[in-house]
Amino acid sequence: MAEPSTAAPQHAVVRHVVFFGRVLREGGLEVGPRRIADALRGLDAIDLSRQEDVYWTLRQTLVARREDLEIFDRAFHAWFLRLATQPVLRPAQPPPPAGERRKGGAPGPGPELDGGEIEIGTWSRDELLRTRDFAAMTADEFARARVLIEEIAVGRPRRRSHRLRPDRRGSALDVRALVRASLATGGDPVVRAYRSRALAPRKLVLILDISGSMEAYARALLLYLHAARGSGRGVETFAFGTRLTRLTPELATRNADAALAAASKRVLDWSGGTRIGESLKAYNDEWGRRALTRGAVVVVLSDGCERGDPALVASEMARLARQAFAIVWVNPLKGHPEYEPLTGGMRAAFAHVDRLVSGHDLASLEALGTVLAGIERRHAA
Amino acid sequence: MVFASIDELDSALASASYLADRGLATALYLSLQLEKPLLLEGEAGVGKTEAAKAIATALGAPLIRLQCYEGLDIAHAVYEWNYARQLLHIRAAQAGTVDEGELFGREFLIRRPVLEAIESEEQVVLLIDEIDRADEEFEAFLLEVLSDFQVTVPELGTIAARRRPYVILTSNRTRELHDALKRRCLYHWIDHPSVAREIQIVELRVPGVPERLAEQAARFAAELRSLDLQKPPGLAETIDWVRALSALGRQELDVENVEATLGSLLKYHEDLLAIRDEALAGLVAAARG
Repeated sequence: MAEPSTAAPQHAVVRHVVFFGRVLREGGLEVGPRRIADALRGLDAIDLSRQEDVYWTLRQTLVARREDLEIFDRAFHAWFLRLATQPVLRPAQPPPPAGERRKGGAPGPGPELDGGEIEIGTWSRDELLRTRDFAAMTADEFARARVLIEEIAVGRPRRRSHRLRPDRRGSALDVRALVRASLATGGDPVVRAYRSRALAPRKLVLILDISGSMEAYARALLLYLHAARGSGRGVETFAFGTRLTRLTPELATRNADAALAAASKRVLDWSGGTRIGESLKAYNDEWGRRALTRGAVVVVLSDGCERGDPALVASEMARLARQAFAIVWVNPLKGHPEYEPLTGGMRAAFAHVDRLVSGHDLASLEALGTVLAGIERRHAA
Repeated sequence: MVFASIDELDSALASASYLADRGLATALYLSLQLEKPLLLEGEAGVGKTEAAKAIATALGAPLIRLQCYEGLDIAHAVYEWNYARQLLHIRAAQAGTVDEGELFGREFLIRRPVLEAIESEEQVVLLIDEIDRADEEFEAFLLEVLSDFQVTVPELGTIAARRRPYVILTSNRTRELHDALKRRCLYHWIDHPSVAREIQIVELRVPGVPERLAEQAARFAAELRSLDLQKPPGLAETIDWVRALSALGRQELDVENVEATLGSLLKYHEDLLAIRDEALAGLVAAARG
């Protein structure tokens, strides 16, 4: 194939595509040199006079995600068809707010968290902190708590993988090893080797209510989501108030402050009303349908104060329950002694929940970790 | 190169009973031209797998399919040793006369789809179906295969492709695939077909279907997709449904027949409950125009 950049008439095309790539990058797409090269090779192989073919060629070589198609379309219209359109630029990742929050509780092990040695002073301080309601924490206490949250969030549900690994007490015969060993015995399988199924992390879906009534807990629980997201693969995170937002990409940033800032930008309805039913429906429609829920442990973090129709909460919870491995509901209100699951949404959801934990302080998040790590199977539906 | 233009590929697909829209035809054409794997994403039932089968037919190349699932491992995707034969071989040869090199020779190798595609003498189409269902470890392994088109069997060494297989991957987007894998591929998102296109496809796939029935069924399916259903019908469902109606000798839709056959279009109990009585009658009336 001819190198497109060397042919003189092609020169304008090259420049166009390179600039177009830059436009897409500003729109938030990852357009590397390899993609640009593919686009040029692609354009070289088609009839440039057919605008439709040019469109498809650029789209298929430069875009790799469905979410990016809309941005691509707008950019294509603006750049190649010279149509006036409103550019949709995604918010860039904000730089980590230096020094602002780091002073109190920089993530990462402080000296007292290294190894098993724990200073008595810190221990007792942390011990008090463990049972302190997130809503009642001072800024300093919260800064300390966030370090602990990261430690807590490593508890993950596990599933038995299909993969086998050598295990002398396993139950599956390791035939490959057996054949090798049989060489020495003339084909008699004397030495037996066994394998057993390895354990792999189970999918975990976390759906956080950030509506007004959850305001006091949303920040701490969002930190928990961030830490859980960092615990390994197969974790999906969502937030909702009146509408559902997927936060998985935003929370992938290791720096908790940057991740939270990115997540906040993404979520438009902080501390607004609650529509649990509609948000669960949005989740089931968009993500459950693609079998994200299947085999996953789904954790809903919400106080269950529903403004919408409790019947919808019930039917969407039922949908969720049919697909999920298990459903855990984290309700910060449960930490209060007088709590009964009586709010409309909570009552509707209750029938489909396998485990209800509180999540209003560090100790309860620890309990959540234990529940998740040990969760066995979903309730008999 | 097999096809000189997108139009040529398009008509080859049509003679393989597959009507591709311009976008998909372009994607398949580019992927052949640039020799890059093609990643097809879209809702269930829009014809991703069918596209791979059709291009194989159009190319006159064998289709090798690897269906992915959670826990898929190398033994089922690439190769496995034929242990039973190995043991018998040791027996037959008497103790002491078999060495390991002989035992782990090619004749004892069971070729699974990936190795089969790589070892093939002729050009093959390798369909890696529903890659999003496989574990991420497998995706990483696949990445290696797709960049070098070679496989290493510890006992045999590296086996490189004689002819690069033409690779199509499909995903239902149950999870986001790795960027590194996507970078290796061209990407095409398949939408539900337009009504006009769906009529054409139905007529092609259900020979002898009454024209009015195909039209009304396509419109009915499009209406259903605009509703808020748990699982809107895909193209595959429309085809099945029209086949059922056609087998019953229907010339067009009526409420009674739709009611009796709706189960081949809608697969969820809730959806079936939502589409009945007046709702059903309204949809049928709208589809009949």
